[in-house]
Amino acid sequence: MQFLKDAKYTLHVAFHPFDGFWDLKYENKGKLRIALAILFGVTVMMILKRQYAGYVVNYNYPLDLNSIDELKYIVLPFLLWCVANWSLTTLMDGEGKFKEIVIATGYAMLPLILIYLPNILLSNVITLREASFYFLLESVATLWFVWLLFIGTMTVHQYTVMKTIMTMLLTVVVMGIIIFLGLLFFSLIQQIVSFVYTIYQELSLRA
Amino acid sequence: MIIKRSILILAAALIIASLSPKPAHASPYEGYTYSYWGEAVQSPIAYLPSRTITGQEIGIEPLATPNDMFAAPDGNLYVLDSGNGRIVVLNSEWKAIRQIQGFDNNGKQDSFNKPEGIFVSGAGHIYVADTENKRVVVLDSSGAFIREIGAPKSEVLSDNFEYFPRKVIVDKAGRIYVVARGVFDGIIEFDSVGDFTGFIGTNPVQFDPVDLFWKTVSTKEQREKMIRFVPIEFNNVDVDADGFIFTTTADKQTLVPVKRLNPSGIDVLRINGEWGPIGDYSRDRSAFIDIDVSGNGVYRTLDSTRGRVFTYNEDGNLLYVIGQYGNQLGTFKNPVAIESFGNRIFVLDRDLGMITEFSATKFGSLVNEANGLYSIGKHNDAAKLWQQVLKLDANYEMAYVGIGKSMLRQGEYKQAMTYLKLGNDREYYSKALTKFRREYMREYFGTYMTIVIALILIVMAVRRGMRVRKEGMKQDAVSQGR
Repeated sequence: MQFLKDAKYTLHVAFHPFDGFWDLKYENKGKLRIALAILFGVTVMMILKRQYAGYVVNYNYPLDLNSIDELKYIVLPFLLWCVANWSLTTLMDGEGKFKEIVIATGYAMLPLILIYLPNILLSNVITLREASFYFLLESVATLWFVWLLFIGTMTVHQYTVMKTIMTMLLTVVVMGIIIFLGLLFFSLIQQIVSFVYTIYQELSLRA
Repeated sequence: MIIKRSILILAAALIIASLSPKPAHASPYEGYTYSYWGEAVQSPIAYLPSRTITGQEIGIEPLATPNDMFAAPDGNLYVLDSGNGRIVVLNSEWKAIRQIQGFDNNGKQDSFNKPEGIFVSGAGHIYVADTENKRVVVLDSSGAFIREIGAPKSEVLSDNFEYFPRKVIVDKAGRIYVVARGVFDGIIEFDSVGDFTGFIGTNPVQFDPVDLFWKTVSTKEQREKMIRFVPIEFNNVDVDADGFIFTTTADKQTLVPVKRLNPSGIDVLRINGEWGPIGDYSRDRSAFIDIDVSGNGVYRTLDSTRGRVFTYNEDGNLLYVIGQYGNQLGTFKNPVAIESFGNRIFVLDRDLGMITEFSATKFGSLVNEANGLYSIGKHNDAAKLWQQVLKLDANYEMAYVGIGKSMLRQGEYKQAMTYLKLGNDREYYSKALTKFRREYMREYFGTYMTIVIALILIVMAVRRGMRVRKEGMKQDAVSQGR
């Protein structure tokens, strides 16, 4: 019953974002597990979309589909966004805690589920001529999600409009920096490992 | 005992296994096509080499660097033996019925000098691009001189223009089109009298953005030393029955190596899907050096990168690929010309001085026949053949599309959708879906509407019931004084 109530509240956030995100932060109505459930839901929805979207709009090569890849396209960007946003806003007088950022981002993704599900069903009965409706709905879902993310960020950190936009853009830059550092780190580790292994080989062959 | 027996059985089984899958006919190359997704897919071999012909085999002097040949509609094959400056005419039984060594040019004995192109018009006149003599020579079918067409004279040509005609074709109206070496303005067009009328089908200039950058920052002196951006020159032409001119360019950068020019010089080649007829989808691109138009809009291009022959239908779908470089029968050293006649393909090899004849296999002739019916719109007849093609090659997408279109016409929308999806034809799939949807709705509209109305009624009734109960509870609460 509690879960149903929470689920209903996510709808409230999606349709009344100002009010919804405020209560999320100050009335403690946001639940981490609900945010993660939405994240999981979006991932599943993406997998379903790639596999079951109508042939007319589905340009995926069936042999290239891999559900694990969705971790790369959904879960990783989500975590990166949260970490990047948190690192940035702690320096920029943001009021949000990490948990609040995760919750707000998670709740903001709800429109993706809300629109993708009927859209997948719709795509199976539309023709090429009506395909633009499908793509229109997809864009609506994305815009709605960005809108919610914007309100969420603004509310959680108590920012002005301009500062929110700046922060969001900077967050994307920081995400890039994190990826760069990550790759650098991995490459260095690889070098070290191969270096140690070479020494070991050298010694073992000489001994 | 048991072990012994089982070993015996195993050995017998091995012998049988090694014997049974005998390759029906060893082929020096592999057959393949490209799928919708751009992946090379194995396919049965459409044509197999049936024989080779050299000069010695015909009983004449060996061919020396032959540059071109032409398969006339009457079945004769005209080979332009450039090194010996002669034309050899072969009939369909590979007998040399005529050799044209020279001709009588207004009382003076004349001959060819390294000619590179030959064409035979419907009237039997032989047109030779006599490259080093800078002219096009017209002979009648017996080899007697009719006239010669010299370099084009016009104000649009620069003064130091050197005319080296390489290939020549003649359309139905008698207009003469010449591809010349180092001419970037397009195909040179002469009218039937032999007067220069202009260029047609100029290729657009292509350049590297990096080069353009350096060009803009360099000085005038530096710029003069750089390569000029010029349009790509055509390297070969052919003309189809409707008078459309097919051209090839050997440039490896261009995405339109094949063009089909209408009489006003506009490219009207049909392209299906993302890529046009570009040969192999690989980093080292195919370079087409000859093109042959056969019936039903089918054309074959000869690739000099890997020595392959690509056959496309009029929609630009790759039908099959044959040939490659090598030393076996059916492979080439330096292929320069391709012609086809009926279900046979001829490839002329310049270095070997040899013509290789390929004959259609069962698969090849099925595809040819099915595609022929398909291109004239006889989808139902074609579908039967496509079914047979699918038995030989279940990956052949063209066949699925062909069957799908036939089903669509017959009103089998559901099946049409299945086949068109397998053939990856979204446009026709969508058409089939539209029809199927309409049919489906017509049939089940009543049922669905009944269900929907029933559901609405049920929901309304339940709500009403709940409201009545709630009010009842309220009244109870009031009456209990809470």
